[in-house]
Amino acid sequence: MEKMNDKLQNTAKELLESKEVNLIIGFAKGSNPLRMRSVFITDPKDAYKISFNAHCVQDLAVFLKKPEVKKFGKIGIVVKGCDEKAVNTLIQEYQLSRDNIKIIGVECRGAIKQNLADRGEDSVKQSTVYDKCLACEVHTPLLYDYLVESDEPAFEITGDVKPYAKIEELDAMSVEDRNMFWQKEFEKCIKCYACRQACPLCYCTRCIVEKNTPQWIETNIEETGNAQWNMIRAYHLSGRCIGCGECERACPVNIPLMLVNEKMARDVFEKFGYKSGLDINAKPVFGTFDANDFNEFIK
Amino acid sequence: MENNRVEEDDKNAQNDKGNLSGSGSAKEKEPRIIAFVCNWCTYNGADLAGTSRMKYAENVRVIKLPCTGRIDPLFVVEAFKKGAKGVLVSGCHPGDCHYTSGNYHSRRKYTAFRDLLSYFGVDTNRVEFSWISASEGNKWVSVINDFTNKIKSLPDSSDIFSKQ
Repeated sequence: MEKMNDKLQNTAKELLESKEVNLIIGFAKGSNPLRMRSVFITDPKDAYKISFNAHCVQDLAVFLKKPEVKKFGKIGIVVKGCDEKAVNTLIQEYQLSRDNIKIIGVECRGAIKQNLADRGEDSVKQSTVYDKCLACEVHTPLLYDYLVESDEPAFEITGDVKPYAKIEELDAMSVEDRNMFWQKEFEKCIKCYACRQACPLCYCTRCIVEKNTPQWIETNIEETGNAQWNMIRAYHLSGRCIGCGECERACPVNIPLMLVNEKMARDVFEKFGYKSGLDINAKPVFGTFDANDFNEFIK
Repeated sequence: MENNRVEEDDKNAQNDKGNLSGSGSAKEKEPRIIAFVCNWCTYNGADLAGTSRMKYAENVRVIKLPCTGRIDPLFVVEAFKKGAKGVLVSGCHPGDCHYTSGNYHSRRKYTAFRDLLSYFGVDTNRVEFSWISASEGNKWVSVINDFTNKIKSLPDSSDIFSKQ
C-alpha cells in the first residue's frame, strides 16, 4: 500500500507542479481508518494527502459533472477500473474532453462493502466485497495516462459465484410476484434523488423531475409516482450505466437499485451486444441503430 | 390543443371511475386505451379507416405526435398512471420514416423499455407496438380491435399502475 500511495502522491505532485492540471480529485483518509473521503487538491504541497486502499468505494467521476469542478479546466482524477468506465462514457457523450483530463488509474483489488467496514471489516475477500467486484473485468482501468499498480494479491473466488443473483430469481418469478417485490421496494422511496446526485452519468442540468410544465413525475411521495421516478431513472441509464453502484450506496432507504441497472445492462448486451463505458469512440447504444434490430414485439 | 384533449380525456376517465365506484351506475367500465401515433403514417392510416367508414373499437384515444422517435417512454408510463388500461405506440414501417431514422431509434428505445416494464411487473400485454402506414386503414382497424379484445380479456391486474 505504501508503495502505491507514494506513486500516487508523486504523480499528483508532478502534474500539479508542471501545471499540466489545475486540480486533482483523489481519495484521502476519512474520519476513521475504515472510511475514505474525496479530496480536491490544487497545491502540490497538499499532494501527500492522497492515498488509496480497499475502502475507496466512492466513484469520483461524479464530480466531473459539477460546474464548480469544471471551471478548473484541466483536471486530474484518481479512478478505479469501474469508475474509469464512467469517465469513458462522459467522453463518449461529449460531456468531457479527453484533452482536459488526466486519468490516474489505480489497480483495484475490490472494494469492501461500507456497511461491513463500519463494523470493522478490513480484509478483501469474496464475502466482503461488493457484487460488482465479483464480476469485475477491469481491475486495471481500460484507459489511463498514469497507472498505479497494486501490490496486493487478487482475492480468491471459490465456488460458483453469481453476482446479483436476485436478478435471475426475479426473472423466474411471475409478473405479479415481481410487481409485489418492486412495489414493496418503491414504497420506501422518499424521493430524495440521492441516486441521481450520486450518479456520475446523471448530468442533465435540469432533470425531468424538476420540469413542472407539465409535471411529469409527482414530487410528493406517492405510490405510482415513486414507481414512475424509479422507472424513468432506470430507463435513462439503460445502456449507459457502468455499474459503479453509487446510487444503491447513496440510497437512504436501501432500494436495491443495482438489480435494475444490472438487469438493463444485461438486456442491452443481449439485444444489441453493447456494453457501456468500454470504448470512448463507440457510439452510445441509443444514439445509433441497426436496420436489423430486434423487431419481434412489433406488429 | 393536444393538451386540452388529454385533459378532457382525464376528466372522462375520472368520471368513468366515479361511475364504477359509485353505487348508482350499473354501466360496465370500458377499458381506456391510449394510442400514441406518428403524424405521417399511422395517423393518416387511422384517418383513412375513418374516411372509409370502417368501424373499430371506441375504447381508443389517439394522440398524434410528429414521429415515433418523439414518443418518450415517459408518455406510456404517464398514460398508465392516469388510468389507461392499454397503450399503443405506432408509427411508420422501418425504412419509411419521414425523418429517415426516428422509428429505428424508437424501436431500440422500446426494446429496452419493454423489458424494464416487464421487470417491474407490468404486464407487457398492456403495451402494444405496431407499424402502420398511411394506406393501411384496415391494419389499423384490426390492430385496435385485437388489442382492445386482448385488454378486455386480461384479468384485473394488480400492477402498480392499475391501482386506482
